[in-house]
Amino acid sequence: MIRIAWLVAKKDLRIEARSRVLLWQVVPFGAMALLLTGLALGPAHAGNSSAGPGLFYLVMLFVALLMINRSQVLESTPGTRASIATLGLDPAGVFLGKTLALCVELWVTGLVLLAGTVLVLHTALHGAFLALPSVLVTLGALAAAGTLYGAMTAGGEGAATLLPVLCLPAFAPLLIAGERAFSAALTHGGLWEWWVIVVVALVAYVGVGILLYGVLEES
Amino acid sequence: MPSTETSELSPVAPPKSPSRSRWRSVGVLVVLGAAIIVLLSQGILHSLNYFETVDQALAQRSSLGTKVIRLEGVVKPGSISRTSNGASFVITGSKDRQVFVDAHGSPPQLFQADIPVVVVGHFTSSTSLDFEGTQILVKHTATYIAAHPKRVKAPNGTTR
Amino acid sequence: MMKELSQRLLGPVTFALLALTIWLGLWVTPPDKVQGNLVRLLYVHPAVAWVALYVSFGTATIASCLYLWKRTRSWDMDRIAHCAMEVSVVFIILTLITGSIWGRPTWGVWWAWDARLTSTAILGVLALGYLALRRANDDPTLRAKRSAVFAIVSAINVPIIHFSVQWWKTLHQGATVFTSNRQLLVHGSMAWTLLISFVGFTLLFFWLLRARYRLEVERDAAYRAAFDEAVSLRQREGVL
Repeated sequence: MIRIAWLVAKKDLRIEARSRVLLWQVVPFGAMALLLTGLALGPAHAGNSSAGPGLFYLVMLFVALLMINRSQVLESTPGTRASIATLGLDPAGVFLGKTLALCVELWVTGLVLLAGTVLVLHTALHGAFLALPSVLVTLGALAAAGTLYGAMTAGGEGAATLLPVLCLPAFAPLLIAGERAFSAALTHGGLWEWWVIVVVALVAYVGVGILLYGVLEES
Repeated sequence: MPSTETSELSPVAPPKSPSRSRWRSVGVLVVLGAAIIVLLSQGILHSLNYFETVDQALAQRSSLGTKVIRLEGVVKPGSISRTSNGASFVITGSKDRQVFVDAHGSPPQLFQADIPVVVVGHFTSSTSLDFEGTQILVKHTATYIAAHPKRVKAPNGTTR
Repeated sequence: MMKELSQRLLGPVTFALLALTIWLGLWVTPPDKVQGNLVRLLYVHPAVAWVALYVSFGTATIASCLYLWKRTRSWDMDRIAHCAMEVSVVFIILTLITGSIWGRPTWGVWWAWDARLTSTAILGVLALGYLALRRANDDPTLRAKRSAVFAIVSAINVPIIHFSVQWWKTLHQGATVFTSNRQLLVHGSMAWTLLISFVGFTLLFFWLLRARYRLEVERDAAYRAAFDEAVSLRQREGVL
C-alpha cells in the first residue's frame, strides 16, 4: 500500500512539476483572492489582523477546491481508471498517494498565502510562525477530505460544480478548528483543543479514505 | 526515465479477501466514529459555546476587559427599569454573583423577571461590573407548564 | 392480511393523528406560563426535527449501510436511501423554518450562530449535496455506491446535532423529551399532544416515503420501457 502510495504521489507531483498549473494558475488565484478580501474589508479594517486567520482559511478552501478538481482530472483521462483496475493497484494506496501529493501542493500554496496574510492583512509574523504547525496539519486533513470527496464527484456530470457543494459543508469544521488554532496562536492562548480536533479530523478522513476509496471507484 | 517507471509498475499481489477487509473496515469506521463522539463529549471546545455565564465572566473578569461577549444570567426580579433608549436590569449567576446591565433597543416580547437572558455587549471598563448591552436574547428553558395549572391534569391523573 | 390492512390504514391514520394534533394543539391545550400561545409550536417543531434528523436521515443512513454491505445489497436499499433523503431535505428545511418562526418572538432573533442551529443547517446542505451527487452520476452502480458512502460519512453530524445542546452552551433550549435524567419537562395535556404529534409526523414520514418509493419504481419501469422501445425501433430500422 505504501509503495503504491509513493508511486502515485510521485506521479502526481511530477505532472505538477511539468505542467506548472499550481504555480501559474492556482497560486496567483489565491494571491488575488487574498487581495480581494483586503478590499472587501475596506481600508479601515484591512490592516486589522483579527479577521486574518479566518480569511486565510477561507481563501485556502477555495484554492483547495481548484486543486482537488485538478487532482481528479489527472485520473480521468481515458483509460486511467481502467488501467488502475486491471493492474490491481490497491485503492487505499492510490488514495494515500493522491492525498500526499495534494497535501504537498496545499502546503506550498498555504505557505505563500500565509506570507501574503502577514503582508496584506498585517497578521503578526510571530503568530503566523507559531500557527504554522496547525496550518500544516489542517491542510493535511483538507487534502485527505478533498481526495475522498473529489473521488465521489470524479467523472460525473458537472464534477467541478458539484465538488464545492459536497466539500464545503464537510470542510466547515476544519475551517473553524484551523481558524481558532491560528487565532489562539496570535493571542498566545491555549491551542491544544483545536489541535485535537484537527488531528482527529486528519486521522478520520485518512481512515475513511483508506477503507472506502475503493468503493467509490468500482462500478 | 521511462525504464524505472515501467519496472515499478510490475504486477502486484491482489488485494486481500474482500470479506475480511470489509469486516475490518466496518470495525475501523465504528471505532473512528465513536472516538470523535467521545472526544466531543468530553466538554472540550469551549469556544463553541454561544455565551459565557455570569459566573464564568466574573471568574475571568480581568482577561475579558471590554471585549464584546454574550453574557448569560437570570433577570433578577424587581430590578428591571425602562430607560430612555432601552432597559436596565440585573442578571444573576449562582450564589449572589450579579452584573448590572444597561441595554439599548427594545427587549424581546418574552423579556421579564426570572427568565434566563443572553445579552450581547461588553463591560463598560476593564474593572467595572456594569455591562453595556446592544441586544437582549431570551433563552427559554425546556420546561412547559400551563398558564392556569389548576385546569390541567398530568398524564398520571394528578392535578398540577 | 395484516400487512395489507396496515398498508391501507397508513394514510387515514396519519391524517387522523395530524388532525388530532392540530385540534389539540390549537384549541384544547392551555397556553404556557411563560410563552403563552407561542407554546403551540411545540406540537410542530420538535416532531418535525425528530423526523428530519433521526427517522428520515437515519433511514437513509441505514439503507445506505445495507446497500454497501454485500449480503444485503439490493436496488431497493438504494431506492429507499434516495427517497428517505429526499423526505429528509423537506423536513430539515421545515425544521429550520419552524424553528426560525419560533425563535423570533421567544429569543428575539430569527437566527443565532449557536452549535445546534449551525450544525442543523450544515446537515441540510449535506442532504442537498447527496441529492446533487445522485443527479451527477449516470452509472446506477457507481451512483448507488458513491451516494451511500456520502450518506454514511455525513451521518456523523446527526449525533453532533443531538448532543450539541449538552456539550456546548447554546441559545437553543436543551432536550425537551429525551432529557438526561429521563424526566419529561412538559406537563399535562401538552405532553399528550406532543406525543401524538411525534407519532403523527413519524407516520407522515412513512406515508411520504412509500409514495415517493412507488413513484421511483414507476419511473424506473417507464425508463426501461422507453429504452426497450427505442432499441426495438432501431432494430426495425435495421440500425442494430
